[in-house]
Amino acid sequence: MKAITVNNLIKDYKEHRAVDGISFEVEEGELFAFLGENGAGKSTTINILSTILRKTSGEVTVFGHELEKDDDSIRALIGIVFQNSVLDSKLTVKENLYTRGAYYGLTKKQTDERLAEFREGFELDEIWNRRYENLSGGQRRRVDIARALIHDPKILFLDEPTTGLDPKSRKIVWDHIDYLRREKKMTIFLTTHYMEETADADNVVILDKGKVIAKGTPSQLKTKYASSRLVWYTEEDEENEKILSGMKHTYDSDHYNISFRDSITELLYNYRNKITDYEVIKGSMDDVFLNLTGREMEGV
Amino acid sequence: MRKFIGLTKRNLLIYFKDKGAIVFSLLTSLIVLVLYLLFLKGTYQDAFDSVLEEVQGIGMLIKSEDVEAFINVTLLIGMMGSAMITVPYSCLTTIVKDRESRIDYDISATPIKRWQIILSYFTSAAVSACIMTGFLLTAGLVILNLNGGILLEAVDILKAYGMVILGSVSATGFFMTMMPFFKTSQSSSAFFGMLSAASGFVIGAYIPISEFSETVQTVCNIFPATHVTVAVRNILMRGVMDSFDSSIGGLDGGVFAESIRSAFTFNARMFGNDLGMRQSILYIGAFTLVSIIIMIFAYSKTYRRK
Repeated sequence: MKAITVNNLIKDYKEHRAVDGISFEVEEGELFAFLGENGAGKSTTINILSTILRKTSGEVTVFGHELEKDDDSIRALIGIVFQNSVLDSKLTVKENLYTRGAYYGLTKKQTDERLAEFREGFELDEIWNRRYENLSGGQRRRVDIARALIHDPKILFLDEPTTGLDPKSRKIVWDHIDYLRREKKMTIFLTTHYMEETADADNVVILDKGKVIAKGTPSQLKTKYASSRLVWYTEEDEENEKILSGMKHTYDSDHYNISFRDSITELLYNYRNKITDYEVIKGSMDDVFLNLTGREMEGV
Repeated sequence: MRKFIGLTKRNLLIYFKDKGAIVFSLLTSLIVLVLYLLFLKGTYQDAFDSVLEEVQGIGMLIKSEDVEAFINVTLLIGMMGSAMITVPYSCLTTIVKDRESRIDYDISATPIKRWQIILSYFTSAAVSACIMTGFLLTAGLVILNLNGGILLEAVDILKAYGMVILGSVSATGFFMTMMPFFKTSQSSSAFFGMLSAASGFVIGAYIPISEFSETVQTVCNIFPATHVTVAVRNILMRGVMDSFDSSIGGLDGGVFAESIRSAFTFNARMFGNDLGMRQSILYIGAFTLVSIIIMIFAYSKTYRRK
């Protein structure tokens, strides 16, 4: 089943068009990544999908429910981890989570039952009675995710969940996301401007200035938009140069760097007795973005 | 209903868990108390004495403990009146803070109905004001009782608590209409500073409103809090006034009581006319109703998705 379908979505702010006719689909249970720089329209799109902002035009459905016609049904199905913390700093973790549970009509007991599932994994017990303002960045993010999961949503929106976190906290957050994806089969909609975070996604949509400029699996995108590299460890000599003639290559101390777009299999097969010590390095998502927009990602 | 209660509880927790916010919201009441200890008691006493001088020959008849009670109740009313203004305002700034920190996004993405969100802000602020003002009233009555009796019947006390509820609801309704205009908590805090400074004067905590010109009196009485303060004064002073009357025994033909009522503002006054208690309550009710209508109109726009 399609978790989300978006068709020609447009969002205008007075003179400015933040989202410009984007279309995409998210399958149930997949990790879907929205990649783009700040201001590309990622958060605006998430805020529209999560019923917070009104769309200017276009059609959106969430698990078959039409946006702006059946919003309450959509709200019950979604959980959101916002870019900035939206829990109350003066309240404890317990108070924050119980009050948020009540927003979905859950009793304290029901909230406890719900939290029991990830209380240990999220290490909530040790911070249960601490004020949210006294938590570290990583601890706050864990509570944010717990809050988003409190009503057992079918889709989890994560709006740049690791921005501003140290590497250790980032890893913890990603461990939780992996758990939800693998164990709970939850649909995860991620926005990020960290290229490496899209590597494990099932599908990636790249946004630039409100428009979708590319979509596909990370592998498809890399194949299509990024050059891969063959590193061949050998001597630099005439015979080898002849093999590589017509291919973009350089020699660097003990190896050749050979750029290629599509496939290198034919070369490797034809010279299988000659090219024996080598490695193939696929293009990165950074290369994809660079080739698509002509510029590198900001703030990475 | 659980969703509405959950959000209301959250709003209440935010206020009551923040000790700094509680003290700040009661700042005007505390200033009234400090000023009372410093010099306001003397000012009230002087005003009382000048009435006694006007009605000659009865000074000996007035019991000093009644005068003490009268002045202490005046202080209590000043503190309560201020709290009824500053507490709901302080609680309602949560609306501005939620908007500023995008907590309203989190709330909007839940199945809570829009009207429940607005009503929960209103309810939590009104309840906070009732609790804090009710606490001041209770503490005041206990202290008065320990200092020689409160001279009030149970029905008067119930009426006073009723006015606390009415005053809290009307002030909350009034301030709800203002909150959409504040875009940042900095601007709402700046306004709170002005409100704190002005509220003590508007309700007559520092100087009885009757000391002001007719125009200023009318302006002060536009605000329902002033009417509430006058109504509470009538209720809480009834016992002391009766005691004055029985001490004088009708020798002055009621002149003393009338002079006190005039000097210490026992009637709200608008456009040169005295308003009775019933008229004041009607005014408060009408003002609250209009505030709520404006609130519904203003918030249906504010909370409509952009």
